Amino acid sequence: MKWKKLIVICSLAVLGGLLLFTVGEMPLFGSKDSPDKTHVIPRYLEKGEEEAGAKNIITGVILNYRGYDTEGEVSVIFSALCAVIALLGRERRRLSRSGVDAAGRPTSVIVNTVVKFLVPIILFFAVYVMLHGEDSPGGGFQGGAIVGASIIIFTLAFGLPRSTDRIPVGFRIPLESIAVLAFLSMGFLGMLFGVNFLTFILPGLSSRMAHTVRFFMLSFIEVGIGVAGGIIFTSIVFSMIREDEYELPPNLSQP
Amino acid sequence: MSVSGFPILLTAIPLLFAALCPIWGMWKREACFPWSLAGVSATAIITWALVPKISATGAIGYEVGGWAPPWGIHIRIDFMGLLMAVIISSAGLLILFYSWRYIIHEIEETKIPYYYTLFLLLFAAMLGFSITGDLFNLFVFMEIFSITSYALVAISGERKALRAAFKYLLMGAVSSITVLFSIALLYSVIGSLNMLDISKRLGQTPYGVVVNTAFALFIGAFAVKAAVFPVHMWLPDAHSIAPSPISAILSALVIKMGVLGIFRVVFTIYGPAFSSNSILWKNLCGVLSWAAAFSVVIGSAMAIIQRELKVMIAYSSVAHVGYILLGICMLSPRAMTGGLFNIIAHAMGKACFFLVAGSLIYKHNMKRIRELRGIGRTMPVTAGAFAIASLSIVGLPPTAGFMAKWYLLWGCFQKGRYVFAAMVLIGSLLSAIYCFRVVYYMFFTGPRLRTQKIDEVPPTMYLPAALLSLGTLVLGIYSSLVISAITRFVGGLPVK
Repeated sequence: MKWKKLIVICSLAVLGGLLLFTVGEMPLFGSKDSPDKTHVIPRYLEKGEEEAGAKNIITGVILNYRGYDTEGEVSVIFSALCAVIALLGRERRRLSRSGVDAAGRPTSVIVNTVVKFLVPIILFFAVYVMLHGEDSPGGGFQGGAIVGASIIIFTLAFGLPRSTDRIPVGFRIPLESIAVLAFLSMGFLGMLFGVNFLTFILPGLSSRMAHTVRFFMLSFIEVGIGVAGGIIFTSIVFSMIREDEYELPPNLSQP
Repeated sequence: MSVSGFPILLTAIPLLFAALCPIWGMWKREACFPWSLAGVSATAIITWALVPKISATGAIGYEVGGWAPPWGIHIRIDFMGLLMAVIISSAGLLILFYSWRYIIHEIEETKIPYYYTLFLLLFAAMLGFSITGDLFNLFVFMEIFSITSYALVAISGERKALRAAFKYLLMGAVSSITVLFSIALLYSVIGSLNMLDISKRLGQTPYGVVVNTAFALFIGAFAVKAAVFPVHMWLPDAHSIAPSPISAILSALVIKMGVLGIFRVVFTIYGPAFSSNSILWKNLCGVLSWAAAFSVVIGSAMAIIQRELKVMIAYSSVAHVGYILLGICMLSPRAMTGGLFNIIAHAMGKACFFLVAGSLIYKHNMKRIRELRGIGRTMPVTAGAFAIASLSIVGLPPTAGFMAKWYLLWGCFQKGRYVFAAMVLIGSLLSAIYCFRVVYYMFFTGPRLRTQKIDEVPPTMYLPAALLSLGTLVLGIYSSLVISAITRFVGGLPVK
């Protein structure tokens, strides 16, 4: 056992040394002549706004230049959800009593009142972040994380049963795949018009019209990513909530 | 009909079917199987439709989003990608067909829609991984097929399955993050993610150290995914405990993704610039071929001492990844032909093995080799399929496995690597012992009663296994067509 540890430590030290040596050989951080900033990046920076249709260059790269990768990333999130559901199953709401005491009253009036006021505001902010990804930092993934967070706060305060009443499984299942479907439908739409998959400038339209259509296609994908992301986080959290973790101590649960 | 739009459909169609699968499952659980069957069949038809075009032109490309290669993502199906895509879609179709009856028996009913969703995602990701021409896109699809395979290994929810999946998850996650890290290293000094563009720019980069480190890390990471000898520990657990159709798909296809990753890094990305003047390139190929040769011997030896059928088959996969990788890394055209041909031969033989093992579990809950006495008389098609497939796994004529090993040995002798030749022969001898032991138990032991009735599994389960085993036979007899195509492709690679 001791020898095993020694061998592991030694090999990690060798690997670490090698990596440090490599880092020393890399181009200086932030230098403007390094290869990663002189090959493909200049086009993104110079033409990104008009070509990709987003003032925020990162959004342009994510959704347009490398939209296919983002389609893959969205599928990664969807696979993660499927993995969790396949292993843990959907939520078991009858078992969970988080957030309420034995008589069904909320555990803390202050927390619940604050949450009740906060959740709509957080959701509103999430929509702003999703739709404003074009011009400012943000976008579908960030907006989705915020949606998920607001629903998680609500669940912590009011308990799983009340949360699942608001967003039942039958409502969540179609929304979970909406991000993948948004990408695929926009891709197939382009193919119907005779251009390549995930091309957002459709032929046969006037330049002005084509740009408007592109704006709506990109926004549709952003909102799709946001909604699906938020709902997927929610579903994962719901299926992870278990009774035994939230069981009240015996002196509280008896009236 | 024009095939120009087909490359993207290979991933778009299974993804579309996967995204809609849970919605179907909400309506009716039984609808999920025909739905996924439709998706996989459509993809298989599209893959086969690409074959004539690519054999005529060598490779076809597709610019996703209409962006030219270094700026956008370029899908490029060359011969290697086509080979993998054809194997994935054909074997995937048969295995999906098999899993219909099997999976009802094995997992809870509520999980069935998600089983098919994960299956379709895994299928889409493997196809995307094979056909992409972009390094980061390769990583994205690698993530999808890794996550779905971890989940599918653990899907039964048994304790052993969870432990095996967790082991697989740990090693797979380290490997994935290493690939991501190497992509970042390479991007920082090359500035491109397109594979052909990288290989062009590698020749004139002044950052030799960074590029070499990335190369070594890539090889190490993909070796974990391929389960080569020192890092193969996750494979026997994961492949033997997963539900049998999943074992079949993991052994036949998913570990080949690791091999394909190594192939892409060694030949597509680094090959053109490094093959003539880099010492590291040659040495790492040498190290890999030694690791592969040890996988052959150790995998086969470990398979012999196993008592459970599925664990034995899983260790045999370690050995066969060794044969494939030895062929690829020995840098001899003949051995390379054998290695690439073995990808097909092993996919068919090993998928058949796991499907047969699954049928035995389904029918009699038999897991140990000793329990298989006389199965050849009550389940003749299933046991017969195993017998034919074991000829191919051992490498006897006239099966496909024989041609693969023949070319591999030919390459060994041509290069004068007699040690490797000896190791391949020892591995084959050991595989003869472990395969024929099972065949012996199936056909030549047990009660010989006239009253024994034939008691087979449903036809949707024995037909895929029988088709796969017949496939090894047919491919062995008509191997010249495939071998000549592989030889032509290998002629264009930097191997002498």
